[in-house]
Amino acid sequence: MTPFTDRTRRLAQSLLAPADGLMNRLYTWRFNPLYHSGAVVVVLLLIILVTGIYLLFFYRIGAPYASVERLADQWWLGSWMRSLHRYASDAAVVAVLIHMFRMFAQERSWGPRALAWVSGLVMLFVLFVSGWTGYVMVWDVQGLLLAREGARLLDLLPLFSEPIARTFVGERELPGAFFFLNLFLHVALPVGMGLGLWVHVSRVARAGLLPPRGLSWTVTGALLAMSVLWPAALGPAADLFRLPDTAPLDVFYSFWLPVSQAMPAWSVWLSSSAFSGVVLLVPWWARPALEARPAPSVVNERLCTGCTQCWVDCPYEAIAMVPRADAREERVARVDPALCVSCGICAGSCAPMGVGPPVRTGRDQLAAVRAFVSRNALDAQVVVVACTRGAGGVAASPEFQGAPVIPVDCAGSMHTSVVEYLVRSGAGGVLIVSCPPRDCWHREGPKWLEQRLYHDREAELKPRVDRRRVRLVYAGLGERATVRAALRTFQRDIGALEVARPEDRVELDIECERPAEEVLER
Amino acid sequence: MTSGMRVVGGVLALAAIVGLGALSQVPYPPEPPAHAVIRLTWRTRSKRVDECRRLTTEEQAQLPAHMRREEVCEGRVLAYRLRVVLDGDTVADETVEPRGARADRPLYVFHEIPAPPGVRVLDVAFVREDSLRGATGGDEGTTGGDERATGGEDSAVREGRAGRVQETPAVLQFSERLELEPRQVALITYDPERRALVLKGYGQTP
Ligand code: HEM
Ligand code: SF4
Ligand code: SF4
Repeated sequence: MTPFTDRTRRLAQSLLAPADGLMNRLYTWRFNPLYHSGAVVVVLLLIILVTGIYLLFFYRIGAPYASVERLADQWWLGSWMRSLHRYASDAAVVAVLIHMFRMFAQERSWGPRALAWVSGLVMLFVLFVSGWTGYVMVWDVQGLLLAREGARLLDLLPLFSEPIARTFVGERELPGAFFFLNLFLHVALPVGMGLGLWVHVSRVARAGLLPPRGLSWTVTGALLAMSVLWPAALGPAADLFRLPDTAPLDVFYSFWLPVSQAMPAWSVWLSSSAFSGVVLLVPWWARPALEARPAPSVVNERLCTGCTQCWVDCPYEAIAMVPRADAREERVARVDPALCVSCGICAGSCAPMGVGPPVRTGRDQLAAVRAFVSRNALDAQVVVVACTRGAGGVAASPEFQGAPVIPVDCAGSMHTSVVEYLVRSGAGGVLIVSCPPRDCWHREGPKWLEQRLYHDREAELKPRVDRRRVRLVYAGLGERATVRAALRTFQRDIGALEVARPEDRVELDIECERPAEEVLER
Repeated sequence: MTSGMRVVGGVLALAAIVGLGALSQVPYPPEPPAHAVIRLTWRTRSKRVDECRRLTTEEQAQLPAHMRREEVCEGRVLAYRLRVVLDGDTVADETVEPRGARADRPLYVFHEIPAPPGVRVLDVAFVREDSLRGATGGDEGTTGGDERATGGEDSAVREGRAGRVQETPAVLQFSERLELEPRQVALITYDPERRALVLKGYGQTP
């Protein structure tokens, strides 16, 4: 990552973090629409699909404007169906842009995610073309402007034997084939989007395609209310023999029109190609330099018991269970480095600590925490274990409000034995600060962490650990105050307990056919 | 969540959705245009000429046996010159070349000339390059020398065939007073039946 890229990314994060923080305060992290922007797009696409099918029954290629006008006059259903179709399409553009910005800010664009980045952009382009053809279908002033400007730009390409701009100059009547082709594109392209979405999420496990139900219904209800109370305007009919009067223009789809109309076609092509190129190539220019890229996970085949937990937990389906090379019967985990994003979540999944990115496996974490305990007198105080991506940014310094801080690269990658070791070594309490579940840069870290701490998910926190001394809080990057408040409350609660006493010799049992100590010694 | 937060959350959501609705229908252009437009648009097929030359004996000898012939011809579709004068001012004066990678496709004219509303005097001359010298009248220019029109490409005019309706005259002229209303588009186009530039549109939708 060049200094420029790094600065761009930091700027993006500094915009995203406070926005996330505000949304969490207003709507709680569960319903923060910014967290669910990608899934909100899916809801919007479903609304567009349902309303679009209805509209299709009334649309006439032979009399496009008149048929839409009839729909708009149908106040009891047609008018708001049409408006809902339109507003959902507008909202989809906004949601995609937020989703995209989020992925960029969270460094989720390169490596195995490049496929999602590129396919996402293809879907965005298809969304735009669907919108443009949708407006051309209406054949009002905006439709005509789009058609004429689109034709002017396309005519620069050596695609057509004669300029298609001729279609819209009034020399001849508009051919019916034009509206047919346009309708075909408007229907076929969104169908292709389904395929695009399948590719888009093909590298993630358990893709979160839908937001929580409450958010889906709120979005749908709000758009519906808008459609009923403020139906989308229908511009005057396209007239090839009049310059358009002032007419409604949809900024989300036609934002480029005023600019483009004022530029020569070649410079529109040049500037839009350059811009698209820069965005399309984000996975290549915005990735860290080779030596700074985190290495993919590796499996220690001797330690792996074939329990399949990492295979289940990996959010990127980067792990396969394969037959072993040695005499043991069970299968062994194998990481595909081309799919692994090095989130480290598998390190937290593996009870015998047999998998994880180099120097971040459970064993490495345990070694680090031992060193930490030998360096710092715990003195029954609260230790903060904080995710380096979120957690109000507290992981950046060794102390927060006087409490020692242990940074972890994704809270979901933390092995629960780290917590056990701290508590049994005399920490008054362990405050684990993770990003809110839907904010996780690695998708499923906080979800698995919570289940390991409180619901006995494999690689669970052992029952002998005093749960009163362990607390999990969620805080995004911009929520330092949340961490501060949580720490204060936890410190007060710990103060009310008996003073923590360190055990003489902390023995952890690590599920493996080898004695734990032997494993740890390595 | 406090009730204050709930109110702020509700207001923000409302603002977002109303903002969406507003941006979905922004009046454009902010000011309706006051001018009118004279739109010149037509597509014509121009004349194709083959310029042929006899090959010398040496040149013929250099060609492979199966490609040997006595003359080589190079075909070309002639361009036109377009000149538009509005109220005595020249607003366009340019050469219209045949389109296509090999410049053998029809010619295409498209010009939009903004004009203040009111009475305007428009003069358009569209003259084939071989008739440029002193071309003001309506007669077609004749080709001379060793040029030879051929029936080659479909896009070019086939000269010498029966029914030359397809052919565009070498000189097209249009001279008229137009009464333009604000935002009106006066369309000047080529009518192949009348073989002349005609005024169309003027307010009606085709
Ligand atoms: C056009 C409609 C789009 C839809 C419906 C959509 C939806 C989604 C969904 C549902 C996910 C999975 C989220 C999860 O479970 O973690 C996802 C992931 C992703 N999206 Fe999109 N997206 C769209 C466009 C885009 C665009 C334009 C970009 C960027 C240019 C983009 C970049 C990504 C990336 C990089 C991921 C993977 C995140 C990760 O692996 O951690 N998406 N998208
Ligand atoms: S979690 Fe550990 S033991 Fe289980 S399959 Fe994965 S590497 Fe093997
Ligand atoms: S680090 Fe582990 S959990 Fe994360 S993607 Fe790689 S293999 Fe999967």
